[in-house]
Amino acid sequence: MARRGILLVAAVALLLSVHIAGQGRGGAQNAPPATARAAAAFDITGYWVSEVTEKWRYRMLVPDKGDYQMVPLNPEGRKVAAAWDPARDQTSGEACRSYGAVGLLQVPGRLHITWQDDNTLRLDADSGTQTRLFRFGGSPPPSAEVSWQGSSAAMWGGGEPRDRRDGFGGPAQDPTGRLAVVPAQRKESDYLKVTTTRMRPGYLQKNGIPYSGNALLEEYFDLFSDPYTKNTWVVLTQVVTDPQYLIEPLIMHAHFKKLPDAAGWDPTPCRADEPR
Amino acid sequence: MRATLPLLALLVLLAAGAANAQFAFAPPAVDLTGEWAPRVYNTHMDIGDYTGMPINEEGRLRAQSWHPDQLDLPENLCRPHPIDHGLRVSVSQLRITNELDSETRLPVGLRLHVWWQEPEQVIYMDGRPHPSPNAPHKWSGFSTGRWERNTLVYRTTHLKEAYLSRTGVPKSPNAEVTTRMHRYGNLLTITFIIHDPAYLTQPYIRESSWVLDPNQVIPTYPCEITPEGAIVPAGKVPSFLPGQNDVLRDFPTEYGIPFEAALGGAETMYPEYIKKMKTMKVAPRTTTEHFRRTQ
Repeated sequence: MARRGILLVAAVALLLSVHIAGQGRGGAQNAPPATARAAAAFDITGYWVSEVTEKWRYRMLVPDKGDYQMVPLNPEGRKVAAAWDPARDQTSGEACRSYGAVGLLQVPGRLHITWQDDNTLRLDADSGTQTRLFRFGGSPPPSAEVSWQGSSAAMWGGGEPRDRRDGFGGPAQDPTGRLAVVPAQRKESDYLKVTTTRMRPGYLQKNGIPYSGNALLEEYFDLFSDPYTKNTWVVLTQVVTDPQYLIEPLIMHAHFKKLPDAAGWDPTPCRADEPR
Repeated sequence: MRATLPLLALLVLLAAGAANAQFAFAPPAVDLTGEWAPRVYNTHMDIGDYTGMPINEEGRLRAQSWHPDQLDLPENLCRPHPIDHGLRVSVSQLRITNELDSETRLPVGLRLHVWWQEPEQVIYMDGRPHPSPNAPHKWSGFSTGRWERNTLVYRTTHLKEAYLSRTGVPKSPNAEVTTRMHRYGNLLTITFIIHDPAYLTQPYIRESSWVLDPNQVIPTYPCEITPEGAIVPAGKVPSFLPGQNDVLRDFPTEYGIPFEAALGGAETMYPEYIKKMKTMKVAPRTTTEHFRRTQ
């Protein structure tokens, strides 16, 4: 009888441990979600507004011609920046140069993000009335034409294989304070990565700081809620690689506060001589 | 019975191993340790530039009374920035290492080291509480962290009174900073969320990035204090009395910004303010190339 009880306890413990282990590893035996929407690391949909807390005079105003502080422009890039002529851009069909994929999210404004379909996120910006499409799963864009917003491949990032000692970054303490070796933690996706190419040449800033048609734009979107105010923000890190005009990749940031609705949505046309 | 006991022990161990939450020091989700080279903005460099900062009237008054010669007072020459600010200005080469308890050599968190003035910050991740509100405040405060998936999130309290910018915008000793460290491959983005009801009307959020640079060597930062009176006359504390800051209008005038906009405040952070600025007066500019001073 006692032996039977012990075996019963053992069986329950075994089941429990397997159950917990399965949870901890995110149910590795489960099939991955069929769509990007189902696999979303977070809900980025809704209305968002820019909060301009840095580089204010570069974003809330049109900066002076030639002011490219904090941009690693090479000599060719400086030459192009020095030739900036907003009036010419406005009249020659190039007014959207500062609303291309690289500069768009630096332009103050509101965003509306929705799922266009299960594998495509759609980002509408009221500044310049532009639309970006983030395609998941490697599906090619319907058109190979270059455009202001280019072609954007998206993925939920963070769940990729570990780097070096991720998950083992030092020993751990067990509950009694002793050194312990713990099983690796499974990394879960927790950010949105968007890689954009095939863009028309445009501007990094409103004052004609150029990027070329060969530029590569990598963007990382992180979402968080503030424990004090309970507001939610998206923080964007942008890395622009453009050997034609930049000495080294340029890193830029922007953040957006979540809004309850579309109030304040203010679509504008592309304007070469206005901040938005 | 003899065969069953080891089996039970094994099962218990398995269950414990599966639930990492039981560990006093949670194993890191991502390895943040290493040498990180800065890719940092240096904005808010001009006196009177409070743009995009959600400061209130008290913060503005303190900022306007700040005089740049205060930096030359002996007590300020080697004064470090609090680390949330120090990480964003100057050449903020960053080293992150595992922090071990000095006696047991067991891990308790992470340590940050920055080149300029060599501030150090320990982020405790072993569950210890924050000290009493009456405990001493330090340049790097007291920080406790946790993992939110792959992001290190830590809260810093007990910071000394300091600045939000290099030009005197104040931060009170009661400020709290929530910091998020997110590694994207070899790129590290740190987001600072500053709460300071004494001088801010809402959280002040700003970001910076670093690039992994295993070969980076952070030099020492020797700092020498010149004797009192060597730069600023002894006994003098440079400051501007209210309404008497005669350089306050230089920044907005140089860059064609309405004076009111340069004074900051939460309203100035949002796109609607662009329209509002069009109704404001802007002082005539003498040149459009002031930026060349630092370019």
